[in-house]
Amino acid sequence: MLFNTPQFFVFLVVTLGIFYVSPKPLRKWILLAASYFFYMSWNWRFAPLLLSLTAIDYVAAIWMERVESPRRRKLFLVLSLAANLGFLGFFKYYNFLASMLAEALRKDSHAFALSIILPLGISFHTFQSMSYVVDVYRREQKAIRNPVDYAVFIAFFPQLVAGPIVRAHEFFADYYTWAPPIDEEKLRGVLWIVLGLAKKMVLADQFAQIADSYFQNLAAHPGAPAAWSGVAAFAMQIFFDFSGYTDMAIGMALLLGFHFPTNFRRPYLAFSITDFWHRWHISFSRWLRDYLYIPLGGNRHGSLMTYRNLMITMLLGGLWHGASWNFVIWGGYHGALLGLERVFGRKHFQEQPNLLVYPLRAAMTFLLVCVGWVFFRAATLRDSVYVFQQMVSWHGKAGLIPLWLTCVLALSLAVALLEERFEWIERLARGPAWAYVATVVTLLFSVELIGVTEKAVPFVYFQF
Amino acid sequence: MRAVPVLLASAVAFAAIEGAVFHSGLYTWILSPDASTGFIQTVLRNERERPKDGPQVLGVGDSRMLLEARLANEHTPETGYTFGTIAAAGATPRSWYYMLRDTDPTARFYRAIVIAAESYDDADKFEVEADRAEDLSYVIAHLGLSDLWEFSRSYQDPSLQWRAARAILFKGLVYKRDFEDVLVHPVSRIRLARVAHRDSFAWYYKFTGPPETLAGFRVDWKNKTLDAPPNANPGLVENLRFRLLYQLPDETGNQSRYLKYWIGKIYERYRGSPTRLIFLRLPRGGFVRPDQPSYNPHSSVRELAAQPNVTLIDEHFFDSLEKPELFVDELHLNGPGMDLFSVMLTQEVSRILGPLR
Repeated sequence: MLFNTPQFFVFLVVTLGIFYVSPKPLRKWILLAASYFFYMSWNWRFAPLLLSLTAIDYVAAIWMERVESPRRRKLFLVLSLAANLGFLGFFKYYNFLASMLAEALRKDSHAFALSIILPLGISFHTFQSMSYVVDVYRREQKAIRNPVDYAVFIAFFPQLVAGPIVRAHEFFADYYTWAPPIDEEKLRGVLWIVLGLAKKMVLADQFAQIADSYFQNLAAHPGAPAAWSGVAAFAMQIFFDFSGYTDMAIGMALLLGFHFPTNFRRPYLAFSITDFWHRWHISFSRWLRDYLYIPLGGNRHGSLMTYRNLMITMLLGGLWHGASWNFVIWGGYHGALLGLERVFGRKHFQEQPNLLVYPLRAAMTFLLVCVGWVFFRAATLRDSVYVFQQMVSWHGKAGLIPLWLTCVLALSLAVALLEERFEWIERLARGPAWAYVATVVTLLFSVELIGVTEKAVPFVYFQF
Repeated sequence: MRAVPVLLASAVAFAAIEGAVFHSGLYTWILSPDASTGFIQTVLRNERERPKDGPQVLGVGDSRMLLEARLANEHTPETGYTFGTIAAAGATPRSWYYMLRDTDPTARFYRAIVIAAESYDDADKFEVEADRAEDLSYVIAHLGLSDLWEFSRSYQDPSLQWRAARAILFKGLVYKRDFEDVLVHPVSRIRLARVAHRDSFAWYYKFTGPPETLAGFRVDWKNKTLDAPPNANPGLVENLRFRLLYQLPDETGNQSRYLKYWIGKIYERYRGSPTRLIFLRLPRGGFVRPDQPSYNPHSSVRELAAQPNVTLIDEHFFDSLEKPELFVDELHLNGPGMDLFSVMLTQEVSRILGPLR
């Protein structure tokens, strides 16, 4: 059940309806049932896996809180992390490691391969669950006593399959003091849902057609204009796809009375790679910082160790996206860029440049990010190299992005710049009714007239 | 702001604008005449705006219904009848129903509706006509909310049923491609729409068929081979081979059910009306397969034949046109074939209708 299908909207409306007409004590059960129904609509076989991980972390956290011995606390933490990383590693990385082993033993690359289906959202819910366990271990979060409460936190359907990765204290702050959304929140919730849907169907899915046609048949599109436009199309696809999904998740959560953190803050307006990572998939960057980079030592042990920690964090961040060397290289590339920015002066890359320099810096950052997307999207390393060769070649005639889509993109850029300056989307729900109505109607028309509606295109991050 | 009124206002505003633009015919004015919906709009507009003096006869069918109204109307002084046509390439019985409904809203205007049938036996075709997705694009401009259930249910494939239902509710979904083109070239589109509105009647009315023929082709039915002249178009050769030598689909009764439904609906519209429904069987081609479908006494048109305002032209009436010299491809008559067909049809229809009283 994809967010961009009519079936999902029926599910959402029914869930909201039942949720709000039910007595308060029943509501968490309704959220849990709806979330498992949503998860099982993909593949019911993975529900026991989700349930097991939930049970393990629930119990581990309570035991950790009960015992005082640091060794035993650590033991429970390790057991919990081992379970999460074990499942994640098996489902996501087994075949990758098996193919490497087979190659090392000079056997067929599929010699040890298993037919494994990746459980939906495993990368997200394991990370969310691990953050909770670590927070309890650090005594930053109290263990949740009610198993239903904890199960709702892990399985909450708006963010179950692709985030944002919500921290336990953020979720339970809303959960334990739950109040129905006020009018402004309802309006904001609907607006985020419609905006996310438009981002996905109007922009992401249109750009996906271009990016797919380019990357799936590189030889058919030789030359620099095709390569640059193919890569730019993917850059747009992945941003609008993932941020569209997140917007919808935030909107749905708002309608249910929950406040999710911002996950994207106009990342392509970033003026440096450091700034980019403060704007792109923020909940994931935050997770990497708090549970990997800082525990590794962060920037507390001198420059060399900082670069090392940065590189390890980004390499693992890349690997999190998928079992492929291309993702590792993508992570390493960003790690190297972040390191370089530190070498040239961290302050310089964290402070907003003046208006004259800003467009140049933003364009430069976008170009660097696009180069990284080549590794992310190309099927193999060889394909990535081929794309780079084409990008710096002098031949080729036309790009792949049609004029009308370029116009729509230019309009989106204008909207993003206005949003960057005025944050008008958030304000819209407080503003005059006509402005809200006009925005929603425009977005709905864009979905109807420009969106890809013949078939529901899956979200990119669902595969991670 | 209070949430519920604002959200309701958003929904109402969207529905109102959608309705005003796409359900009112406003957008159809600017449709490209080359796209499916725009093409049907052009054909129907031509018929609507055609000067209509005296008793009228209207032809309906697909691209093989090559009635040249221009030629037929040269005989008006003798016959007394003026001919028009809304036959359109790719139009199917389902589309004919909706096209007729809009062209003849009272179902009493024409003296006769001449309907071109592929066969009088309802034989199954290579494609399942009930699941022809293009029908939606053909008639979307003529579908209203009251058609939602019937039109979408007329598809057998659930995904097409769903697509049709969505499209009737949100017509913009069908106009999407056209709209994208308008976005890119708004000025040239307006210019094209203007030209189409001004000149399209002449485009169709003055159309004369192509001169090419199938002379030189030979079919060996026994060995199932086709000999083509050396300079023959490979696409044409392949189409002929497919049409003439491929095994015919098994009879499932599917096409018969489909035709009985839609031809039956056309008949129901004209039941009790002064308009006569005249069916003709189209010339089958320059070469006629020996394995013709078996005679079906209960076919859609044969069952209607007994009705008081229905006439079936003898199904072999156009057999004399089934020659390679009169066809341009596997399906269509060429220029000389069209001329002969038009004259024969005009005379036969006038004979059936009888002299004007």
